Amino acid sequence: MNLEKAKQTFIDEANELLLAFEDDLLRIESAPDPERPEIINSLFRAAHTIKGSAGLFGFDYIVSFTHVLESVLDKVREGGLTLDAELISLLLNCRDYVGNLIDALESGIEIDPARDADRELLLVRLQVQLKQGIGDPATVAGTPVVATTVVSVASPEPQEATATREADTVASDHWHLSLRFGPDVLRNGMDPLSFIRYLGTLGRIVYLTTLYDGLPPASQMDPESCYLGFEIEFDSAVDKQTIENVFEFVRDDSTVRIIPPHSKLAEYISLIGSLPEDQRRLGEILLQGGALTYFELEEVLRIQRAEQQVDKHAARPLGAILVEENVVPPQAVLAALEKQKQSDERKSNEHRFIKVEAAKLDSLINLVGELVIAGAAANLLATRSHSPELIEATTSIAELVERIRDGALTMRMVHIAETFNRFPRVVRDVSRELGKQIELSIGGGETELDKSMVEKLGDPLMHIVRNAIDHGIEPEAERLKMGKPVEGKLSLTAFHESGSIVIEVSDDGGGINRARVLAKALQKGLVPPDLVLSDREILNLIFEPGFSTAEQVTNLSGRGVGMDVVKRSIEQLRGEIELESEEGLGTLVRIRLPLTLAIIDGFQVVIGRSTFVIPLDLVIECLDLQTDSELLQPRYLNLRGEVLPYVRLRDLFDIEAPPPARENVVVVQYGNARAGLVVDQLLGEFQAVIKPLGQLFRGIKGIGGSTILGTGEVALILDVPQLIQLASAGERAELTRHLPRHLSVARS
Amino acid sequence: MSKTIMIVDDSASLRQVVHIALAGAGYEVVEACDGKDGLDKLDGRKIHLIISDVNMPNMDGITFVKAVKQLPNYKFTPIIMLTTEAQEDRKREGQMAGAKAWVVKPFQPEQMLNAVARLVLP
Repeated sequence: MNLEKAKQTFIDEANELLLAFEDDLLRIESAPDPERPEIINSLFRAAHTIKGSAGLFGFDYIVSFTHVLESVLDKVREGGLTLDAELISLLLNCRDYVGNLIDALESGIEIDPARDADRELLLVRLQVQLKQGIGDPATVAGTPVVATTVVSVASPEPQEATATREADTVASDHWHLSLRFGPDVLRNGMDPLSFIRYLGTLGRIVYLTTLYDGLPPASQMDPESCYLGFEIEFDSAVDKQTIENVFEFVRDDSTVRIIPPHSKLAEYISLIGSLPEDQRRLGEILLQGGALTYFELEEVLRIQRAEQQVDKHAARPLGAILVEENVVPPQAVLAALEKQKQSDERKSNEHRFIKVEAAKLDSLINLVGELVIAGAAANLLATRSHSPELIEATTSIAELVERIRDGALTMRMVHIAETFNRFPRVVRDVSRELGKQIELSIGGGETELDKSMVEKLGDPLMHIVRNAIDHGIEPEAERLKMGKPVEGKLSLTAFHESGSIVIEVSDDGGGINRARVLAKALQKGLVPPDLVLSDREILNLIFEPGFSTAEQVTNLSGRGVGMDVVKRSIEQLRGEIELESEEGLGTLVRIRLPLTLAIIDGFQVVIGRSTFVIPLDLVIECLDLQTDSELLQPRYLNLRGEVLPYVRLRDLFDIEAPPPARENVVVVQYGNARAGLVVDQLLGEFQAVIKPLGQLFRGIKGIGGSTILGTGEVALILDVPQLIQLASAGERAELTRHLPRHLSVARS
Repeated sequence: MSKTIMIVDDSASLRQVVHIALAGAGYEVVEACDGKDGLDKLDGRKIHLIISDVNMPNMDGITFVKAVKQLPNYKFTPIIMLTTEAQEDRKREGQMAGAKAWVVKPFQPEQMLNAVARLVLP
C-alpha cells in the first residue's frame, strides 16, 4: 500500500464530501423540518470525516480548521445554534476554504496557515458562532472551544453566574475587570486592595465580587499567600491601557482581563475602520484601535509561540487566541480582520486590470494628439510674447502634456505574448499534419507594442511561421541525412532596438536556395534575364507579387497568400521585413516595426522654407557638413574615419531655394544601416502627431506622413528607412529610375 | 493617620523633590541617603512603602532590598525601585530581590505619586 495513493484517495474522498456538504447546505434552507436533522447530521459527518482522515495523514492545518467547523456543526446538531442564512453562508465559505486546502494539497503547494488571513477570519467567525449560542449562555465562559492548555480564565464561580454577568457587561455600559491575583502578591508587598482603591480614583467601581473559591481549608491556608480573585464592574472614561497600567506591578504574576463596555466596542470598531490602509498585522491593528494593550499582545504572542513549538500547524491564529482567551471581544477582532483583508485586497487590486473599450482609448489618444498640437501653438505664442511668466507656464504645461501623451500611449501597449501565445498550438497542429517534429521556442513575450499593431501582426506572422514549417524545415529523412537532429527548431523572438520593435522568426531548416529563386523569378518574368542581382536582391525576390517557390503547393502555405502580402501588411504598419538565409542552415525573417503609430518625438529640420520632421529615436547625431576634405565623393562623407552615405534632401525633394553658406548633416540609423541627411537648418525636438498622407501621396519615396506644427503649418515626416536605402549604393539603380535629374545634380 | 514612606537615594535633591511631592499628597516621609542608612532607619517604626534607588554608595539598592526582605517587621513592605530605561537587567534583579514595583528615571513627581498611589493610598 502506497502512501501517495492513499493520499490521492483522501483527496478524492474529501472532494466528494465537500461536494455533498455544499449540496446539503443549499438544500437545507428549503428542506421540510423533519428532514433537517438528517441533513445537519450529514454536514457534521462530512466535517468529522475530513478531520479524521486528515489527521491520519498529519495534515494538521486541515484538522485544526475542520475541528472548529465540526464543533459549530455539533452545536447546530445539539440545537444550540440555528442554521440560518448567515450561518449557511459562513459554512459555505468554510467549505470553499477547505476545498482550497485540498486543492493545494493536490497540487503540492505548501501552505502556511499562520499567514492566511482568510483562515483567520473564518475561524474567528466560527468562534463567534460557538460563543453566541441561543438560550445557552453557559457556553460563554469556561470551556475553551479548542482543547488547549493555556491560561484559561475559566471562572471558579458557578458558570451560570459568571456567564450572566459577562453577558451583562457587554450589555451594560461598564468595563468588566476580571482579576486573579497571584499567590505571591502579598509577599511582594502588593496589596490587592490598594490596587482596587487606586482603580477607584480613575472611575467608579459599580460592583465588585470577591472570588474566594480558591481559598483552601483553614488548616492548609498560608496566611502570606493570596487566594482571592475579583470581578469588577467599572465605570470610567479612561482607555484600556490606563486601566491596565493600574495593575502594572502585579501584571507578571496575576491574570488580568479587561473587557470593554459596549460603547467602547463601537469606538474600537470605528477606530479600526478609520485606520490608514497599509498592510498591518492583526495585533497592530487592534493595538492602534485601542482594543488591545501591549502587554496583552505580548502575552498572546507568547501563547502562540508556545503552541507553535508544540505543533507548527496546529497553533491557533492570533485572532482565535484573542477571542478564546477573552482578551479582545470577537466583534473587535472581526473588525480588525476585515480591515486587514481590505488592506490586502487594496494591495492586490493595484496589480489588477480594468478593461477599457478600445474606441475610448483611441479617442483619448486622438485628443492627446490635438492637445499636443494646441500646446505647440501656445508655446509658440508664448515665445513670441517674450513674457517669461507665460513661457514658464506653457513650458510646464508642455511637460505635462508630454507625460500624458506617454501615459496614453503606454495604455495601448500590450505584450506581444498575446500574439505569440497562439503559436504553440499552431505549430503543433501544422507539424503534426506534415509529419514533422518541431520544437518551438518563444522569447521576449514581454516586449510591448501597440495594441492595434498586435492585431494586424497576427496574420502575417502566422503566414511566416507556416512557411517556415512547410518550406523551411526539411522532412525528417532529409534532416537525418544532413546530420541534423530529427526535431526541427523554430523560434519566435521579439525585442526593442533603437526606436523600433524587432520580431524574428527563425528556423534551422534548409535555407533558401538562391539558384532556385532566381530560376523561378526568371521563369515568371520578374527579372530581366541579363540582370546581375546581389544576394540580398535575390532573397528579396521572394517578396515580389506572384512569386512562389514551393514546387508542391500544399494545403498550408500555398493559399494564394504569398510573401508579398506579408510584406504589404508589414509596410502598412510602417514597418519593414527582411530575410537572412544560409543554405542548409536555416532562415531568419526579421520584421521591424515602429514603436507607436500615433505620436512620436520628432526632430525638426528646415530646408529652404519647408520644415521636415525626423523621428527622434532614429537620430544619432548632428554635424556640420564640411565642404572640402571630408567629402570623399559626392555621395559619401567621412564620419570620423567611417564611410557614411548621405542624401541631400534639397536635391531629393527638388527645393529650389539657394543653399545656405553652411549645411548640416543629421546622422540617422535604422537597423544596422546609417546614413546622413543633409539639411539647411536644425530646429530641435518636437512632438509630432502623425497624420497619414492622402491617397495621392502614398507612393512618394522618403516621406512617411505629415504633422501639424504649432504655427498651423504642415510639416512632412521623413521616412528614414527609405532614405537610408536611397542613400546606400544598393539603391542606386532605383534612385536613378525614380529621380534621374536630382541624382545627376548630386553626382555632378 | 497618614502613611509613612521611606525614600532611599544618595541624591539629596531627588530626595527633597520626592519628599515635597509625597508630603503634598498627604504622606509622611522618611529620608535615607543609602542602603545602610535606610536599614538603620528601619528601627521598628511603621513604614508603609519604601522607595529605593539602585546605585548608591555604601550599600546598593539590590542588597538593601534583600536585607529588607529579611526583616520580620518589614518583609511585606512594598518596595518601589528607581530604575533607568537602560537598566533592564537591574530591574529584573530588583524584582528577584523582592522589589516588584518600579519607576523609571527620570520621572515627574506626578508619575511617582501615581506609582505610590497604586500601592498605598495616603
